[in-house]
Amino acid sequence: MRNLLRVKRQGFMSRTSFAFACALFLSIPFMGSTRAGAVAVEVPRDSSGWFVDLNRFSESAHKNLTCEACHGDMSDQGQKHPDTRDTTRLKSKATRIYDYQRCRTCHRESYERYLRGAHAKALTEEKKTPVSEGFLSDRLKAPTCGECHSAHYDRSHLSRGATGQAMTDTCGACHAEQKATYLENYHGKVAVNLRDEASAYCTDCHGAHECVSLKDRKTALAACQRCHPDAGERFAQFVIHPTTEGLARDNKEKQKHVTIIKIVTLIMTIIVVLVVGFFYGHSFLWLLREIHEKLRKH
Amino acid sequence: MSEENFQESVFVRFSVLQRFLHIIVMVGFTGLAVTGFSLKFSAQWWAGGFVWLIGGAGHLAYLHRFFAVITYGCVMVHVLWLVYYKLVLKGSLTGPQSLFPKVKDIQDLLGHTRYFFGKGKLPSFNRFTYWEKFDYLAIFLGMNTMGFTGLILWAPEFFSRLIPGYFINLAQVLHLYEAILAVALKFVVHLISAHLRPEVFPIEKSIFNGKTTREKILREHPGEWEHIMTTHEQS
Repeated sequence: MRNLLRVKRQGFMSRTSFAFACALFLSIPFMGSTRAGAVAVEVPRDSSGWFVDLNRFSESAHKNLTCEACHGDMSDQGQKHPDTRDTTRLKSKATRIYDYQRCRTCHRESYERYLRGAHAKALTEEKKTPVSEGFLSDRLKAPTCGECHSAHYDRSHLSRGATGQAMTDTCGACHAEQKATYLENYHGKVAVNLRDEASAYCTDCHGAHECVSLKDRKTALAACQRCHPDAGERFAQFVIHPTTEGLARDNKEKQKHVTIIKIVTLIMTIIVVLVVGFFYGHSFLWLLREIHEKLRKH
Repeated sequence: MSEENFQESVFVRFSVLQRFLHIIVMVGFTGLAVTGFSLKFSAQWWAGGFVWLIGGAGHLAYLHRFFAVITYGCVMVHVLWLVYYKLVLKGSLTGPQSLFPKVKDIQDLLGHTRYFFGKGKLPSFNRFTYWEKFDYLAIFLGMNTMGFTGLILWAPEFFSRLIPGYFINLAQVLHLYEAILAVALKFVVHLISAHLRPEVFPIEKSIFNGKTTREKILREHPGEWEHIMTTHEQS
């Protein structure tokens, strides 16, 4: 009798713990989405503004520079800095007023790459279209140095991984779809989520400061071949960012490929939902019937 | 063998090779699922923690491919066995006691569903029921398609010389959604139908020790018992 009881209790325990283990296992994918790839070194991403936190400035890459080294005699575009009567000036974005040609003094190579790149081209285009609010407008989107870098707070000597993690957020601030698709891609998962520095970050393909779009097949292939030396011409057709957001209208080929990828994804989703739904329903009914049969015999 | 012994004897439901392959596929499939979904959900803390434990993304890729090789190795061994079974042992791969899908399976499914609602008796299943056939065929076809798309993702440089580059994207989509399908079916539907439902709870041992009894065959696969009796009387 005692043995019998013990067996029964064990059976009960194993079933309870088993049910618990099942519930735990099935709920794993829904557990909190704390990013495993949280930045190891906290890199402040906020760009420079009118207010300067000198505690943070004293830890930045420019900590040894004096204010005058970058800001000169504190006048910009004919306006004196401490003009307390001009309220509009302080309401505007500081990064839109600062003359970033001064960065060239020390960062010549980076500056010239920027001038050759897509962001500088966008800025030139933007300046051609007349905007009534002038440089105060939020409509101005093309970035200068200060939109991506913070001259006051960015630190130096960050690891490749830490730079890459911060870069994903910096670029993603404007290119949200590109960030999302990159993080769905193997490169992004491995580089950002799993912190493997061997994988590619944004600038590894698009180039630092040049920031080219890679719609030109030869440029794209050259970017691929930096890590995949055996890549052939059609390898560059692989779509890293399967989104039409920000895609050039004349890029019909990639539009077609993105559409096909989306259609196949939709079809697969429908198949998975139907098949899983059918068999889960089947198993559920079956379980109800067998439990009913067991209870009826008692 | 006397008639009485025959009635009581233990029957072999799965051969040593079949039992061995089931264990390897079980381990390989679980390994593939764990490593694969650790990449898919790498933004989640548990996946990141697992990858950290095994030593980074490089080890994750290596392990995934290791499990893929042993799992697909099972497919190849199994296909060789099928060829041997057909050509040398002169067995039947499409007969009523085989795993080949038949019209009877649809009838059994409908009859079984009626039984769920209490509107009929259990159908007289043959050696393999419709859900067992589905389990087998789904994983047999699935491992081939997963193997094919996985191979494309393993060597994209080579395959993009044969097919357009965006086919690699399609291979990724198919590989992911089929993985979701396979995991959702194997870890839930297969476990419930083969092991966890009250009739067989907690485990169906015959896939591990190969043994089944007359009583069990009569209860679960009565159609097979008729087949055993007719072949027994003929011999």
